[in-house]
Amino acid sequence: MSVVPDQPRADGIGARIAAGQAARGRAEARLSAAITDLFLPDHVRLDERTRLALARMLAAIVGALDTDIRRHAARILAGQQAEARAEALLAGTGGVQARLAEAGLLGDRGLIEELVARVRCDLIADALPVAIGAPDQASLLVRLTEVEDGVVAAAAKQLLGAETRRRLATESGALAGSELPAELHHRLVWWVAAAIREAAVASVGADAGTDRAIVDAAQRSLAAHDEGDRAEAVAMRLALAIDARADELGPLLVEAVGDRRLTLFIAVLARAGGMDFPVVRALVIEPEGDRLWLMLRAAGLDRATIARIALSLAEADPARDIERFADELDEIAGIATPAARDALAPLTLHADMRRALDALARAETR
Amino acid sequence: MKVDNSPLDVPVSHALVDAAGLLVSADPAIATLNAHAGGAIGAPLAVAPIATVARLARRLGIVVSRGVLVADDDVDLDLWVRAQPEGEGVRLAIGGWRETRMRGAPTRDPAIDVSVGDADLRWDCDAALRLTFVSIGAGRRLGLDPFAFLGRPLTTLFQLDEDGEGALPLLDAVARRRQLGAQRATLRGSDRRVTLSAAVRQDDAGAFAGFVGAARLTDPAPVAAAAMPATFTEGLDKALRAPLARIIANADTINAATDGPVQQDYVDYAADIANAGRHLLGLVDDLVDLQGIERADFALTPEPIDLADVARRAAGLLSVRASNAGVAIARPLPALSVPATGDFRRALQIMVNLLGNAVRYSPDGSVVTVTALDDGKVATAIVADQGKGIAVEDQTRIFGKFERVDPSEAGGNGLGLYIARRLARAMGGDLVVESAPGDGARFILTLPR
Repeated sequence: MSVVPDQPRADGIGARIAAGQAARGRAEARLSAAITDLFLPDHVRLDERTRLALARMLAAIVGALDTDIRRHAARILAGQQAEARAEALLAGTGGVQARLAEAGLLGDRGLIEELVARVRCDLIADALPVAIGAPDQASLLVRLTEVEDGVVAAAAKQLLGAETRRRLATESGALAGSELPAELHHRLVWWVAAAIREAAVASVGADAGTDRAIVDAAQRSLAAHDEGDRAEAVAMRLALAIDARADELGPLLVEAVGDRRLTLFIAVLARAGGMDFPVVRALVIEPEGDRLWLMLRAAGLDRATIARIALSLAEADPARDIERFADELDEIAGIATPAARDALAPLTLHADMRRALDALARAETR
Repeated sequence: MKVDNSPLDVPVSHALVDAAGLLVSADPAIATLNAHAGGAIGAPLAVAPIATVARLARRLGIVVSRGVLVADDDVDLDLWVRAQPEGEGVRLAIGGWRETRMRGAPTRDPAIDVSVGDADLRWDCDAALRLTFVSIGAGRRLGLDPFAFLGRPLTTLFQLDEDGEGALPLLDAVARRRQLGAQRATLRGSDRRVTLSAAVRQDDAGAFAGFVGAARLTDPAPVAAAAMPATFTEGLDKALRAPLARIIANADTINAATDGPVQQDYVDYAADIANAGRHLLGLVDDLVDLQGIERADFALTPEPIDLADVARRAAGLLSVRASNAGVAIARPLPALSVPATGDFRRALQIMVNLLGNAVRYSPDGSVVTVTALDDGKVATAIVADQGKGIAVEDQTRIFGKFERVDPSEAGGNGLGLYIARRLARAMGGDLVVESAPGDGARFILTLPR
């Protein structure tokens, strides 16, 4: 054991200085984030439950794709006697999400919009007060599985199954697939594949065989994705099959909320208004509710029905202000149906057209 | 567990609030609660959470049903409030009085008590016991196609076994809207034995709206269960529990008038039937209790308790029922503390039983006094009423099985005092009575310090 302290080596000193500089950079970043966070108005800030659920869902989706692509690519490589490369791919699991986040890719507007909507929808549906039609009466969706109209019954069964799958996936954090709309799924698969390749190149160097295996695995994931299996799509098919008449619409919507089937509620409303599911979902999860009330008036619903729906949503979502709604209810009920329809007309435009208009509007406010 | 079961037989109470939010009329229970909060007839409703529901219903023009937690002296009342706009005003129906619980006492929230995390199979069902959720992976591991069961009756998935007394715990849980502890069953299509447990989902009006359940694989039923000593209670329990559960469920259905308007008289009869049914179920509980305490191995776990606190809590639990009967309860001052050794819940059970009796036998306008004393050797709690008293020759008899203070009086099943004394003695204390006809009765509970 030496009594003389080790002489610090020159490269060690360099590393310390570099670390000191990096720390300064991090402190700056932390301060900026603190300033942004502190001055975020409450109505735009994510609440903790949503933030947590969102983070879990994002991690689960990226994790599922990551595992899926690596596993299949490794299988291809193993089939080509490139076991070492296969194992290197499998061993590299993890880190993809951090890499994509760092690159700013996961902050994709469309992706986050979809995930926030899904999470908010799940949280609201989960907290909706259950209302039973009558004691011993089966719940709405179960009754729909038994109607004589085979199309409705089949769609209702599919929805029961899809919601069961979705709930288990949410709870366990283990997804079978992304359950994203095709376009988003497509984008995300290639990002994940790119991050996997980048890490593989960094660890064992570039290799054409590995590249081909990753691409094949990604394409397989794309081919296996069927956006028609998603709970949202199944709910739309059910709403289309039910095709509620004007006089059936109010009771059906109220029952859907009472059965805590928010997806079905959204789908039925979307079908009635001739809009896409995501458009109506966005209105339903808005805590202010102003556009939803317009939508309900456009569908010709009366004051009491609108009040019932608003009350249930307010019980489920602490961000909502039922007292303010009560103040405005007379005005809301007074809106003529045609006027409400006109006000919402832009929402019935083609989705791409709406996105383009939104992008223009954003550019203007910048 | 008796305390949670004891039906504080206050039925649904009604009140009328006018367009300005002023209380027009109120049943005794609501009037009392309102008076405790500083309100009166003709003044604004003083119980804030209830006033909020009433105001919201009036402004929205629809029925608003909501569970509210109302603080009343020492206890929190878990009430459900149904506010129905009527003309310019609002009609209030408030129920759930019997669900009162002590403030700070552990809640028996079924959603918390029933853990599903370690379940072998999870399931949900709706009010009609149709499956709305079955865990997929677990189902497949058990050789089932979970999707095939969605929307189907619960009994297509599980074949339910009757318990030792010939009843189905699941139906009992539905009738009482209580969490399901253990329902033994067989998984259909296999001979796998499971035990089902579930939390109850209730709608805003407190009606049964479904289960959130779990199934755990179990070994074949232990044969020891069949070797239980056969006593008369088994037969009674078997004969009563299932039909009673059915009667209560049907009476509640009629009472809720969910199938359409029902003439008010019948709605009230239905409430009476349901209450009578719950009372009888309470008797069945007592009998089961009895069986427990008469076993040779019955033991309690003594711990330091505050008998004055127990007395105050019991008084709090019965204050609404006492108000309904026009009886006041004078309770120990908040600062008083009387250390004793005993089982908290059992001591409370005894005090609730004594106070319940005292309220039942007290004339309108009288006072029931609860005092607690510490003489340095034993802790004593005394419940004194101003009723007609108990003759000396009856003072031993009333502690017997199925004996009543006044056999001509309705209510009470004649087991309460017997159980109370057995419990007091099991804690190393005693329960005695002092009374002279016309001079009221004093029940004296002593516990070691």
